[in-house]
Amino acid sequence: MEIGILSTIIFLPLLVGLLFLVLPFNATWTRNAAFGVSIVIFFLAIYIYMNFQPTGYIQLREYHPWIKSYGIYYSLGIDGFSLIVLMLIATLIPSAYLLLWDNGRPKSYWVSMLFIQAGISGTLFSLDLILFYFFWEAMLLPVFMIIGLFGTGNRVFSTLKVTIYTIMGSLLMFVSILYLGVAFYYEYGVWSFELGDLVQITTLGYETKVMLFLGFMVAFAIKIPLFPFHSWLLETYSNSPTGGVFLLSSIMAKLGAYALVRFMIPLFPDLFVEFSPYFVSLGIFGLVYFGIAAISQHNIKKMFAYSSASHLGFITAGIFSLNAHGMMGSAFLIVAHAMATGGLFLLQGVMERNLGIRSLDGLGGIAKKAPVFTLFFGIMVLCTVGIPGTNGFVAELLIVLGLFKYNPFAGIVAAVTVLVAASYMFLLFQKAILVRTDNDVSTMVDLQWKEILGLLPLTILIIGMGFYPDYFLYKVEPTIQHYLLDILHVGGR
Amino acid sequence: MIDLNHFAYLLPLIIVLFGAITLMLLSPLERFSMRSFTIMTLGFLGSALLADIYYFGELYTSFPFETIFSKMIIADSYSVYFDAILLSGAMVTSLIGAHYFDVKRRFKKEFFSLFLFSVFGMMLLVHANELMTAFIALEIASLSLYVMVGFQKYESRRVEASYQYLILGSLSGIFFLLGTALLYAGLGTTILGDMGKNLDALMGKDTSLVIIGGSFLLVTFLFKISAFPFHNWTIDVYDGAPLPVTAFMAATFKVAIFGFILRLMLVDLDPIRDMWDSLFMVIIVATLLYGSFMAVIQKSLKRMLAASSMVHTGYLLIGFVSLGAAGESASSSIIFYMVAYFLSAMGAFGLISYITSDDHIRFTYEDFRGFAHVHPYMAAMLSIFMLSLAGIPGTIGFVGKFYIFTGAIEAGNTLLAVMGVTATFISIYYYFKLIALMYFYPTSEMEEVPTLKGIAPLTIGLVAFGVIWGGIGNTFVAYFPGIDFLIDTARLSYMSLFIK
Repeated sequence: MEIGILSTIIFLPLLVGLLFLVLPFNATWTRNAAFGVSIVIFFLAIYIYMNFQPTGYIQLREYHPWIKSYGIYYSLGIDGFSLIVLMLIATLIPSAYLLLWDNGRPKSYWVSMLFIQAGISGTLFSLDLILFYFFWEAMLLPVFMIIGLFGTGNRVFSTLKVTIYTIMGSLLMFVSILYLGVAFYYEYGVWSFELGDLVQITTLGYETKVMLFLGFMVAFAIKIPLFPFHSWLLETYSNSPTGGVFLLSSIMAKLGAYALVRFMIPLFPDLFVEFSPYFVSLGIFGLVYFGIAAISQHNIKKMFAYSSASHLGFITAGIFSLNAHGMMGSAFLIVAHAMATGGLFLLQGVMERNLGIRSLDGLGGIAKKAPVFTLFFGIMVLCTVGIPGTNGFVAELLIVLGLFKYNPFAGIVAAVTVLVAASYMFLLFQKAILVRTDNDVSTMVDLQWKEILGLLPLTILIIGMGFYPDYFLYKVEPTIQHYLLDILHVGGR
Repeated sequence: MIDLNHFAYLLPLIIVLFGAITLMLLSPLERFSMRSFTIMTLGFLGSALLADIYYFGELYTSFPFETIFSKMIIADSYSVYFDAILLSGAMVTSLIGAHYFDVKRRFKKEFFSLFLFSVFGMMLLVHANELMTAFIALEIASLSLYVMVGFQKYESRRVEASYQYLILGSLSGIFFLLGTALLYAGLGTTILGDMGKNLDALMGKDTSLVIIGGSFLLVTFLFKISAFPFHNWTIDVYDGAPLPVTAFMAATFKVAIFGFILRLMLVDLDPIRDMWDSLFMVIIVATLLYGSFMAVIQKSLKRMLAASSMVHTGYLLIGFVSLGAAGESASSSIIFYMVAYFLSAMGAFGLISYITSDDHIRFTYEDFRGFAHVHPYMAAMLSIFMLSLAGIPGTIGFVGKFYIFTGAIEAGNTLLAVMGVTATFISIYYYFKLIALMYFYPTSEMEEVPTLKGIAPLTIGLVAFGVIWGGIGNTFVAYFPGIDFLIDTARLSYMSLFIK
C-alpha cells in the first residue's frame, strides 16, 4: 500500500510518539525526536506548498476504504485554505519546541505534543466526516493529558470542564453527521460520509437543515470559542502549561474557524448566507466584549486568553462576511494571530519559567534585564494590535474592508474596536515590560540562541507577510473565490 | 440413526453440559486443586468454542434432531454468533477470575460447575425455539447465577444480594410463564415461527391476548437487562456479587437475554411490535437518565460500573426500538454493540477484580488517586476501557455507538439518538473522572497491588487490544478480521433468522 505525503504528516508523529512512549528513552531524547519530527514535517509542508497548484480544488487526495459496510473512507485532501493552516502548524510547532526546550518536563509531555500534532493534522486533512470527527475527538485526549498532568491551579477541574464542554459540542455535531449520512443513504441507496457526497443531498427540509447547521455550529463555536460558548476559556488558558495553551490558542482554536469554512460552506451554503448576519454580529460582539474583558485582567495569561478570543471573534465575522476581502482577511488573520499569540504565549512561558507566576502588578522593568526578549515581545504586540508593516495590519484591514462591504455599521464597529486591542496590549507592554518598578525581576534571563532561533521564523513571517501579502495570498485566493462563486453564489470582489 | 451433522450443530452445548456435570462429580475429590478446576473449565469452554467457530460465517438454519426435540431447539448462524460471544465471555471471565479465585481461597470448587451450568443455560437460551424451552434455559442460567452471587456465604452483603436477586428474579420469571400461557391461548402454539404464522393469520381480529402475553414476556426481559422500571436490584446485586460474577452478569448474561428476545421480536411478534414503541421510548429515556444519574453520584467504582451498565442497556434498547423501521442495521447494531460493551466492561471489571483481589478492598474512585504513577500499564488499560465505555473515537465503543445512533436515525428516531448522545455526554464525567484521578494526582499508598504476572493480566491486555483494534482496525492487515468482519458476520446471523 502506498503511503501518501498527507498520511505521513499525520502518522509520523503518532508512530514516533507511541514508540517513545513504550521504549525506555528519557525525556531529552523524546524531546529531540519530537523536534526532529516537527522539522521533517516542516520540510514536507514546504514541499507541499511549492507544488500546490493555485486552483480552488482539492489536491493530494488519498482514499482508502475503512469501514466498507457503512461507506466510511480514509479520505484525505487539502485545498488552499487547509494549505494555509498546514503551513501555520508546520512553522509554529518547531518554534514551540525551541522555546519549550529546557523546561524540564518529563517524557509524557513531549509524547502528548506529538500526539496533538498528529490529531491536528488529521483533523485538517480529513474529507470524510466520520474520519474528521474521529480526529476531532481524538485530538482532545492528549490535550486533556497535557493540561491535567502539567497544568497549574485547579487543573483537574478545568481539564474535566474543557473536556466535557468540547465533547458536548462534538456530540451534537456527531448526531448531525449521522443524520446527513442517513439522508444520503435514503436518497442514493448507498452509505457515504464523504464531504463531496454529502453536499449532494437534496431531500432535507428547511427546519431539519437548520437543526443540523446548528449542531455543527455548536461544536465549532465551542472550539473557537464564540460568544456565548466561551466559559471554559479563561480557566483552561490560565491553568494550562505553556505548551498546552499555545496549542489551544494558536492552533486548535484556528481549526474551529477552519472547519467553519471547510464544512459549513459546502454543506449548508444557503443557510450560511441566511444566518451570516447573526454570526457577523456574534463575531463583532465577541470582538468588543472580549476586548473590554481583556482590559480588566491582571493576569497576563488571562489577558491573552481574552485577547485571543477577541481576535477569533474577528476571524469569525470575516468568514461570515460573504466576500473575498473578509474571507481572505480571515485566512490571513488566522496566520497572523496564530503567530503573534503563539509567540506571546511562548514568551510568557519564558517569563513564567524565570519569574514564577505573577500578576501584572508584580512585573515591570524587564526591558532592561532582557532586551532581546523585549524586542520580540514588542513585535508580537505590534502584530496583535495590527500596526502597519505587520501581517496583523493586512489581515485586519482586509476584514474591516469586507465588513464594510457587508454592512457599513459592522465595518465601523470593527474598525473602532481595533483601538481596544491597542489599549490593552500597549498597557500590558508598558506595565509588564517597560516601566521600571520596585518589583524584583533579577531572576529574569534574556533569550538564549535556541529561543531566538525559534522566534526568528515567526518574526520574519510577521514582517514579510506584512510587506508582501500578495505572495502569500495567491495560493489561497482561488479557493476562496471557489467557495464564494461556485458554492455560495454571492459574487466575487 | 444419529445424524452427525445435527450432532455437530449441538456439539458446543453438549460439551458445556458434559463439562458442568463432570466438574460437579469431581468437586468432592481432594486431589484436584482450584487451579486444575480453572484449567478444566477453560478446556471445556475452549473446545466448545472451537466446535462453535467451525460454523462461523456460514449461512444456515436447522432444527437438530427434529424427531426428538420437535422444533424446540434451533441451530443457525444466529445462534452460532451468540454462542461465540457467550463462550468467549465465559472464557475471559474464568481467565480473569483465575487470579481472583486463587487469592480468595474460600471459593469452593463447585463454583466452576455452577458457572458452566449457567453458560449452558445461556447458550440453550439462544438456541431455544420454543417458549417453555426458553423459560427452562433462562432458569438454569439464573438459578446458577443466584448461587454464584451469594457464593461466599460468610459475607452478609453477598447473601443479601443473592436473596434480592433470587426473589425479584423469580418474580419476574413468573411473568414469563404467565405470558407464555397467554400467548399459547392466543396463538395455539409456543413454537417460534409457528407463532408468527398464526399471528399473521390473526391480524385484523382480536389480538389482545397476544399483546398482553407479549407484554408479560417483555417484563421479564426488561427485568433481566435491568431497564427502568425494573432496575432497582441492579446496583445492589452487582455491588454485592464477587467481581468476576458481576462482570459475567453485566457483559454475558445480557447478551443471552437479547439473543432470545431479538429472535422472538424480529420474527414472531413482528406484526404487533410497533404497539410497544411509545412505551419503549419512555423506558429508554427513563433508563438512560436514571442510569446516568445513579452513575454520577456513585463513589464506588463497582457501583458506578453497575449503574452505567443500565445506561448501556438504554443504548441497546434504542437499537431495539429502531428494529421496526430499520430492521437489518438496527439488529446488527445491537449485536455489534453487545460485543463492544462486552469487551469494554469485561476488561474494566476484570482489571478491577485483578487489582482488588488481594483482600484489599479498593473500590472507590479515591483509591485510584495517583494510580498511574505506580502502575502505568494497568492505568493505561483501565483508561482504554473507560474511553471505550464513553465512546471516544479510536475504541470499539465508538463504533458501537455509531451503529446504534445511525440505526436510530435511519428508523426516524432522531430524538432518541439525541437522548443517547446526552447520556453519552453525561457519561464523559464519570468515566473521565477516573482517568483524571489516576493520572493527575501524585502517588498515594497503592503499593500492595499485584504485579503484572500470569494469565489474567495477559487476558486483560488482549481485551484492551481488542477494544482498540475494534475501533480502528480495517482491511489493511490481510486475513485479520477488522470492524467490517464483525459487522458482516452480525448481518449474516441476522439474515439466518429469516430463512424459511
